[in-house]
Amino acid sequence: MIASPSVGRLARLAGASGGANRWLERLASLKLTAYLIAVLGAGVLMAYLSETRTTWSLVVPLALIALNLGAAVATNGVFRRNLPLLVFHLALIAVIALVALGRLTYLKGQIELAEGEEFAGDLVSHDAGPLHWWRLDRIHLVNHGFSIDYAAGVKRGPTRNEVGYAVDDGRPQRTVIGDNEPLVLLGYRFYTSFNKGFAPAFLWHAKQGEALFGTVHLPAYPIHEYRQARDWTLPGTSTTVWTQLQFDEVILDPDKPSSFRLPRHYKLVVRVGEMRAELQPGESIELPDGRLEYRGLGSWMGYTVFSDWTTPWLLAAAALAAVSLALHFWNKFSSRPWNPEHAADA
Amino acid sequence: MLELNLLWTALVAYVVSGSTAIISVVLDRRPQRMILVLLVVGLALHSASIAVRWDRLGHGPYVTMFEILSSNVWSLLLAFALAYWRIRAIRASAAVVMPIMFVMMGWLLVSSPGEGHLPPTYHTIWLFIHIGFGKVFLGAVLVAVGIAGVILLRHCGVGVKRLAGLPADERLDDLACRFMSLGLVFETLMLVAGAIWAQDAWGRYWAWDPLETWAFITWLTLAFSLHARLAFRLRPHHGAALIILVFVLAFLTFFGVPFVSTAPHKGAV
Repeated sequence: MIASPSVGRLARLAGASGGANRWLERLASLKLTAYLIAVLGAGVLMAYLSETRTTWSLVVPLALIALNLGAAVATNGVFRRNLPLLVFHLALIAVIALVALGRLTYLKGQIELAEGEEFAGDLVSHDAGPLHWWRLDRIHLVNHGFSIDYAAGVKRGPTRNEVGYAVDDGRPQRTVIGDNEPLVLLGYRFYTSFNKGFAPAFLWHAKQGEALFGTVHLPAYPIHEYRQARDWTLPGTSTTVWTQLQFDEVILDPDKPSSFRLPRHYKLVVRVGEMRAELQPGESIELPDGRLEYRGLGSWMGYTVFSDWTTPWLLAAAALAAVSLALHFWNKFSSRPWNPEHAADA
Repeated sequence: MLELNLLWTALVAYVVSGSTAIISVVLDRRPQRMILVLLVVGLALHSASIAVRWDRLGHGPYVTMFEILSSNVWSLLLAFALAYWRIRAIRASAAVVMPIMFVMMGWLLVSSPGEGHLPPTYHTIWLFIHIGFGKVFLGAVLVAVGIAGVILLRHCGVGVKRLAGLPADERLDDLACRFMSLGLVFETLMLVAGAIWAQDAWGRYWAWDPLETWAFITWLTLAFSLHARLAFRLRPHHGAALIILVFVLAFLTFFGVPFVSTAPHKGAV
């Protein structure tokens, strides 16, 4: 018998569909899941131990696990009979998808603000996903100073940092942030960090142009207690200025509780080329391109900026995974005693 | 000092209880009520010791290694005492569990009981939630380790006669699997709670610091051990070996990694 063309096409379609189903069933294999978990574990170790923190060793197994779970949900009838197990697997797929989306759109950066300085949208350093939607320019954030108490042994206590903030042209507001209490604006979370230090302020009177005010953020204190100096460049010139803060008094006493504060007696040493000067507030030095005036000593605070819109969804998916897993185990184990001979022990 | 006197007395009660449990298995005697009473007395004294220290320092037992060991000895023995009380058929597994606890108690004895500084990032309710979930996880795995130990001892021909009164390996394997499942749920919750805490403490929910990485590897190993039972229909002694592996990883993560790296997960600078 010769099959008609339409019957032949149906047979080929059925054959192709059967082939696809076989592949899907292979992809949904329970054994494959176990192997992929092992591969992911190896990938985590590889990423952890490698100096470059390679991400492909995590991305590839996670993508394969997502495919494996998706195929299992699509083909395995047990998921249609067991709702908690289905929810658990879907929640796991959601966690993987959200982590991937988060890595594409996140931002993590650092900023430093001297007391009284407004955040101008510039990050000292940052790490961002390629699809991050930058909105930092809409945020107005001012550091109004901080206090940190230290226990004996220079053990840091809670940080309390007063900040002023506004979004776009909104009403300016003030709040106190610190450990475990970030400021959240437009999805950006601003955290105080353990980085903070002293910041001499200068006014640069260029021979041509307006006077410019700025601060020099000396290395973090007390981590770099004995390295309170740094080079910086005068704006609009190639002149490098070396600035050092010298003081003998003990700010943070290792033997008793104390607080972060500015030194009461100090020398501010400025060196430009062969010229060296010790400046008091209001004093200045003449340079070929203008006059550098020292205005006084303040402090600076370092902040971590974090943005990842997926985090609440990730939390919800992870919590759902844990709850549905618990429910699945409860249903599975409560339906039969572990030791039928001694059911009272179940 | 009262807190140390209470602790040492509790440890004596634990050691007598554990030694009796081991001897009772070896000699095939059953002074189980006395073992349980001594465990409960030890736990009561230990609870009082932790409470006195908490009141004196103003923070819980989660800063120094002494405090972490003490609180974990307490929570692990509480988990095992509950299992010992409720599941009579596996009481002989005390002969496996108590030597592990003796090692931790020995470590506790040589740790300095001095005070530590409470990092500012520890002032959050998520610390308690994170630690609480972790303790349930480790407690569940410890009970499973006791059961797995019995399976492995019988498989290796050690104490077969003494352990013959316990249920068959398949039944024990099923029970151990239940405790590991409980462990998986609570380790998942521990990781979630830890991520919430880390987000506000350090400005990121996950950063692959050593403790996070090893906790995740432990989670993967636990998930693998449960999944492998289904996928490969493991024999009881293979499942038991995987339980031991999970416990070793969890133990090293809880108590080993803080020795290797202290900075990233403490937040104190």
